[in-house]
Amino acid sequence: MNHPASRVVPRAAAAAATTILLQISGAAFVYAILSAEEGWQVVALLGLLGFGFYLLERLPWINDVVVALLARVPVVTTATAAVIVLGFPFLVGSNTYILHLLIVAQLYAVLALALNFQLGSANIPNFATGASYGIGAYVSALLAVNFNVSFWLTLPVAALAATLFGFVIGIPCMRTRDTYLALVTIAFAVVVHQLLNNFEWTGGPNGLVGIPAPTLFGHSFADPIEVFGWTLPSQANFYYLAAAVVIIAVITARRLHESHIGLAWNALRADEMAAKAQGINVAWYKVLAFAVDAFLAAFAGTIYAFYVSYISPDNFTFLVSVTIMTMVIVGGMDNIFGVIVGAFLLTILPEKLRAFSDYRLLIFGVIVIGFLMIRPEGLFPQRLRHYGVER
Amino acid sequence: MSALLAVENVTMRFGGLVALDNITFFMEKGSVLAVIGPNGAGKSTLFNVVTGVYRPTAGRVKFDGVDITGMPTHEVVRRGVARTFQSSRLFRDLSVLDNVIVGMHTRASAGVLDVLFRPAVARRELATAVEKAEALLRESSGPLYEQRYRPAGTLAQADRRRLEIARALASQPKLILLDEPSAGMDDAETDALVADIERLRAQHPELSVILIEHDMRVVEAFPEHVMCIDYGRLIAGGRFEAVRANPHVQEAYLGTAAADA
Amino acid sequence: MTELLLQQAINWITLGSIYALLALGFSLIFGVLNVIHFSHGDVAMTAPFIALAGAQALAAVLGAAAPAWLALAVIAAVFAVGLIGVVLDKAVIRRFRDAPAMMALVATVALGIVIRELIRHLYPQGSNPHAFPRLIGGVAFDVAGVPVSWFALAVVGLTALLVGLLFGFLHLTPIGLRIRAASQDRVVARMMGISDGRVFRATFLMASSIGAVAGLLFASYAGVTRFDFGVMAGLIGFSAAVIGGLGSMPGAIVGGLIIAGIEVLAQTFVPEGASYRLVFVFMLVIAVLIFRPAGLLGRTILEKV
Repeated sequence: MNHPASRVVPRAAAAAATTILLQISGAAFVYAILSAEEGWQVVALLGLLGFGFYLLERLPWINDVVVALLARVPVVTTATAAVIVLGFPFLVGSNTYILHLLIVAQLYAVLALALNFQLGSANIPNFATGASYGIGAYVSALLAVNFNVSFWLTLPVAALAATLFGFVIGIPCMRTRDTYLALVTIAFAVVVHQLLNNFEWTGGPNGLVGIPAPTLFGHSFADPIEVFGWTLPSQANFYYLAAAVVIIAVITARRLHESHIGLAWNALRADEMAAKAQGINVAWYKVLAFAVDAFLAAFAGTIYAFYVSYISPDNFTFLVSVTIMTMVIVGGMDNIFGVIVGAFLLTILPEKLRAFSDYRLLIFGVIVIGFLMIRPEGLFPQRLRHYGVER
Repeated sequence: MSALLAVENVTMRFGGLVALDNITFFMEKGSVLAVIGPNGAGKSTLFNVVTGVYRPTAGRVKFDGVDITGMPTHEVVRRGVARTFQSSRLFRDLSVLDNVIVGMHTRASAGVLDVLFRPAVARRELATAVEKAEALLRESSGPLYEQRYRPAGTLAQADRRRLEIARALASQPKLILLDEPSAGMDDAETDALVADIERLRAQHPELSVILIEHDMRVVEAFPEHVMCIDYGRLIAGGRFEAVRANPHVQEAYLGTAAADA
Repeated sequence: MTELLLQQAINWITLGSIYALLALGFSLIFGVLNVIHFSHGDVAMTAPFIALAGAQALAAVLGAAAPAWLALAVIAAVFAVGLIGVVLDKAVIRRFRDAPAMMALVATVALGIVIRELIRHLYPQGSNPHAFPRLIGGVAFDVAGVPVSWFALAVVGLTALLVGLLFGFLHLTPIGLRIRAASQDRVVARMMGISDGRVFRATFLMASSIGAVAGLLFASYAGVTRFDFGVMAGLIGFSAAVIGGLGSMPGAIVGGLIIAGIEVLAQTFVPEGASYRLVFVFMLVIAVLIFRPAGLLGRTILEKV
């Protein structure tokens, strides 16, 4: 078949220039929508976004060309992305609200990438990502509050605890499928939430307070960052921390996706019986998806706990899982970039709908249903893998 | 007894229905066995019992000297049994090439930790798999290689069959089970299929093949070992000419032919 | 001790009947559409609000409040909710019939959010809990010193009546037969051309009105209703239907009784059991699905290969 990307074979210099331009305009758009205050600005920017998606829908080759361009000059792409991510807080300056939104969006991006292993790659409906997130947050917070354990040590412990939980949920899921499997994960989510709500040592419904800020080489994350004469608010610490975890999540997701493990997940998504007939241990791969999901979700949970310094069971309800799930579906299942876009969009959009703050949930629900009916494959549908020269 | 596959007194019941009734047969390395019989006779059930999809109600299945009765499917496949399905079950939203690479799953040795922390090792392994898969697609009689980046679900019927066989071969099996490989093929395509199987046997003299077939021209091409199943019972076995002449076989076929008419 | 046990047994049967009615709706809809209508609990819990609003409207139009107005409003609410179900099916749920299970699940979860938010915005002071009257008061008789209320008797009687009617409808009327055929074998049903709108309409009308009865009884049992009661009602009804075996009517009833049983047992015998009751309920759900992945009375489906 004539692969559309092969129609365009750009020269490296042109590709590099376009790549940089594309990424900068993307960042500029994110900045514009984050700092938009007036209702009409938000509406105009959303209109622009909608038009962009409409163009992508009508002219799908744009997507292929962009992917080919970015892949043509990988070093430039990565370097530009790094500069943008590092430099963004300087652009934002002292606006802590924007930084807060970015931190939350990045944490959701990690959660959505985590869930994508199951929902996107393997089509396992997991409603317990919120619970793994909560377990990560609670384990690290309990260690820090009660035993003064350093943040950097609680991070792996929390991840391990959540992974163990992932295995525990995964085991009953080996025998169940679809709706039944969904109910098992819902049941686990409710049980975890109820236990957190009832145990005395988790603080019951009041949760845990006074989680100390992490320190790194003597620098407390509660203090502002001062570099080259610039002063960034203390939120910038967590912004960079969250960005680091997003990068870890993206690398994990890419490596798994581009391996026989990602292929095995895709195979069992398409046809479980046929996957078994290729020698794939379907049960083990399902459990593995749960474990990876829980591992990454715990990272997000730990950072969240130390960032807000106060957690309660209501941060980790069933509805949090549904939100994460929606991000994956809206962004595009099994598409790493799409999932991140979904997380950012669905974190920022409700905040920008403040004008209708009381109707936010209602609008959210309507958007989700509309999306599932009109564009169930998401904004950025999954792509076929290409090997060798094609990349 | 050093048979590659030994099916001994296998019975499979679903509730009151007896799908397989005390079936016994043996198969040598490098041979072809054609299984014929009317629809619903239990031929596919036999494949499902051999590949561990169903656990037989009674009897044993031995493969390569090991008892594989009731072993999980993926274990059976790992030991060298590959199969295709009657209603070709491809991974429809994966590319043709990826379907074959998934077929090599049992050959992949990189674990999760390798994939995450030694990406170079995993990438090299995958690159080798891509090369092998492309080679397999080139060998196929259909235009599969040219279509390797198409979603498998969009292939034409005959190409789907060919891809399923290529995918099954990717695991380098000792025994391959083909469930009605000629279904949905025209005469020319069926001839090409027969040629494919013959070429396969020439390339891999050790490979054994079990065919479920309705198209007698395919069965005729591999006449040494044929068995006929009807109502779950093995009613005739031997060379094609003998089986065809068997009155029970004729009755089974004529019976259904009359019923179909 | 006997008195306590007897009292709890009455509670169990009452609550179990309400849960069974909820579970029946889940099972019916799943049977016909192969879709989990996760917002069924929310649909059911709109009934008390519609009844309250109806009673107030009648009182405002016709003068002084009277029990008769409430009775009338309650009956109207059952029909109204039935219609809401039919509309939701046509507008949203039916479109997910052929979609992957999880798409339908997420869509109906979102639909639940929309329904809850609509209640909250449309009903005056919808965020607050609203008192809901006991529909039937008084004590019928005493058993070993334990009073048995008319309400408990009415719940059990009504449940039995509805189950009987449903059974008769499914087995004796032509459309009921078609619903059963559709839920037994979807492929055959579609080939026979059964999968027309009438089957869906009838299914949603019945499931939603039965759900409305459950919602009204639940509000009446609890003495209060709130816009977000539908979440738990949905989770419990769904769980009961799955424990019993999705698509199985007897299974739904058994599932409802089991879940109510666990709740009542936890409250009676476990210290602080009341706060841990959901933990017990959902641990049981997990346990059942580990050992009986298709539910207690569900048929294990052997995949055709």
